[in-house]
Amino acid sequence: MADAARLRRLLSLIPYVLKHQGATFDELCEVFEVSRSQLVDDLNLIFLCGQPDYSPADLIDVFIDEDRVFIGMADYFARPLRFTPAELSGLYLACSALARLAGAPVSPGLSSVMEKIRDALGMGELPPDEVERSLELASHAAEGEILSELTRACEERLAVDMEYYSYGRDELTRRRVNPLSLEFGMGHWYLRAWDEPSGEVRVFRVDRVKELTVSGERFQPPDEEVFEGPYGAVGGGEITVRLRFAPALAGWAREQPIFSSVEEEGAFLVCTLKTDKLSWLERELLSCGAGVEVLEPRELREGLRRRVERILSLYAEKKKRGGT
Amino acid sequence: MNKAERLINLIAMLLEARRPVTLERIRNSIPGYQQASVPSFKRMFERDKSELREMGVPIRVEPVDAFGEEMGYRIPKEEYYLPEIDFTPEEKVALLLVNRLASGGVIPLSREAGSALLKLSPDLGDVGRSGRTGYAPLRFAHPAESLETLTTLWEASVRRRTVRFTYRSLGSSQSQERSIDPYGLYFDRGAWYVVGYCHLRGEVRSFRVSRIESQVEAVSTPDKGPDFARPEDFRLREHARILPWEFEEGTHYRAEVRFSPRIAWLVERDLGDVYPFRYLKGGGGKLRVTVRNEDAFCNWVLSFAEDAEVVSPPELRSKVRDRLLEILAMAGGDEVG
Repeated sequence: MADAARLRRLLSLIPYVLKHQGATFDELCEVFEVSRSQLVDDLNLIFLCGQPDYSPADLIDVFIDEDRVFIGMADYFARPLRFTPAELSGLYLACSALARLAGAPVSPGLSSVMEKIRDALGMGELPPDEVERSLELASHAAEGEILSELTRACEERLAVDMEYYSYGRDELTRRRVNPLSLEFGMGHWYLRAWDEPSGEVRVFRVDRVKELTVSGERFQPPDEEVFEGPYGAVGGGEITVRLRFAPALAGWAREQPIFSSVEEEGAFLVCTLKTDKLSWLERELLSCGAGVEVLEPRELREGLRRRVERILSLYAEKKKRGGT
Repeated sequence: MNKAERLINLIAMLLEARRPVTLERIRNSIPGYQQASVPSFKRMFERDKSELREMGVPIRVEPVDAFGEEMGYRIPKEEYYLPEIDFTPEEKVALLLVNRLASGGVIPLSREAGSALLKLSPDLGDVGRSGRTGYAPLRFAHPAESLETLTTLWEASVRRRTVRFTYRSLGSSQSQERSIDPYGLYFDRGAWYVVGYCHLRGEVRSFRVSRIESQVEAVSTPDKGPDFARPEDFRLREHARILPWEFEEGTHYRAEVRFSPRIAWLVERDLGDVYPFRYLKGGGGKLRVTVRNEDAFCNWVLSFAEDAEVVSPPELRSKVRDRLLEILAMAGGDEVG
């Protein structure tokens, strides 16, 4: 409800300004995630509040000097409202989740934050032990060092030399990139960076960065920082691929977000996607076994066949050796 | 009269009151109540009061004087005020990141975490600009699961409430009504799972949250005590990283898989915490895997194409080989077979 959200904001905005007198409009808009006009409305509303009888001497004092905001006569709102039990649990849960998703090196202050919250507020009806036992997140500790180096490089705008395994092209490459931001989505950390070899902004999976060196070279960040998410990473190629899934795989195929169209053909499912990464697709298809057939293009069908032959030779050879 | 204004005035008045304030005084003082008739004022006040209590405003009802005949309202400051917490600059950056995670809605109770962080904002100040270098590059994308479902499931697991929902398991075209005793939630490879005792199957199972098709509802009313006890020896971790080829009983193998130098490091990073892994001379590596589901195991090994080879046991080697021959037949390479 909009009213409730506004009330919550006002009850934090007043103590914020009381503690940070002279905060600028920009700062307040950023911290409270509101537009300038919304902030003006909020301040106008605060200006009407106070103690009975609401004579000028009883009202909260709000004044704006150029771009700076000051509030007085509101000592009773010196502190924000206490947490509800759900807010406390939520905050604690989010802290402990972040620790596991990003790892300690990325957020060194996190464990002491959790201690402070526990000590100052108590955990009430939710023992911290219960949080640990009821919520589990696959750890990203293995890539933690790389993630933390990349975080630093992003913050300090330092170019990075990295050895990167491109799954789509199935090759290990060395490249210099200007790291812009990091996003967690679909269960992975992604790096958005300006890529020197290709001369464009690209998205990289952090767990596929094999080695990394932060250079001493500073780069000029772009004017606009947007991260559109890594989800276009696979699609968007020139080649149209049509696949027919056996009934046993139809349910799985429906869950994959990569298909632009899905048609039923009896109990079979014919799915279409656009890509330019056939090497990636070949390996995906291998893991579907005989449950999927390539309808087009022909080069994918043949690529898959050649690949299967290569893998088969691995097994044939071994068998001979095993026999001797 | 703006409602937010009325509520702020009400809080302000009850916070400053030295003694409990009677209903009559509240009505006579606060703009917005004054204009209403007595019965509609009372309804309005009741609604406001319960709304504020829901937000956590501690409104107390106490006798106005020693005679105890008339009751009044008061907000004790010590119960209202959030204790002051001093955060170091590093801790502030950590909380900025927690805020990002919360606004991404990745974790149950994200909305509540967000409103807690709003309350901490006076103590955090303008972290965005006063942080390590004024720029924190981490972002979190919204997950596919609904935050509401995640929150309901997690709260049910903490409060030990049996829940009911319709679920479509993978590979079945029809959804089924399930009721489970949720023991906990886990997140792996971009998907949330709830683990719990399934009344239909009579055992502990994992359910992928994105395959829940209905609202999640508690089976009993909230005023009742817990519906179940979580077994003392239950460890979420033991259910959390069950890999696809470990599902189902039946055959049980210890398999050895060799990976090429090109990708061995990736495998170690991904699975080194679950299975024994060792590097070989020349940079490749060997992983020792538990296999209960042969099909899923073949799928996984083949996803690495020529960069992975099953070394042992022979049963699984020939299984992979058979699979390859099947694919070959389908891809129209029968003349090579």
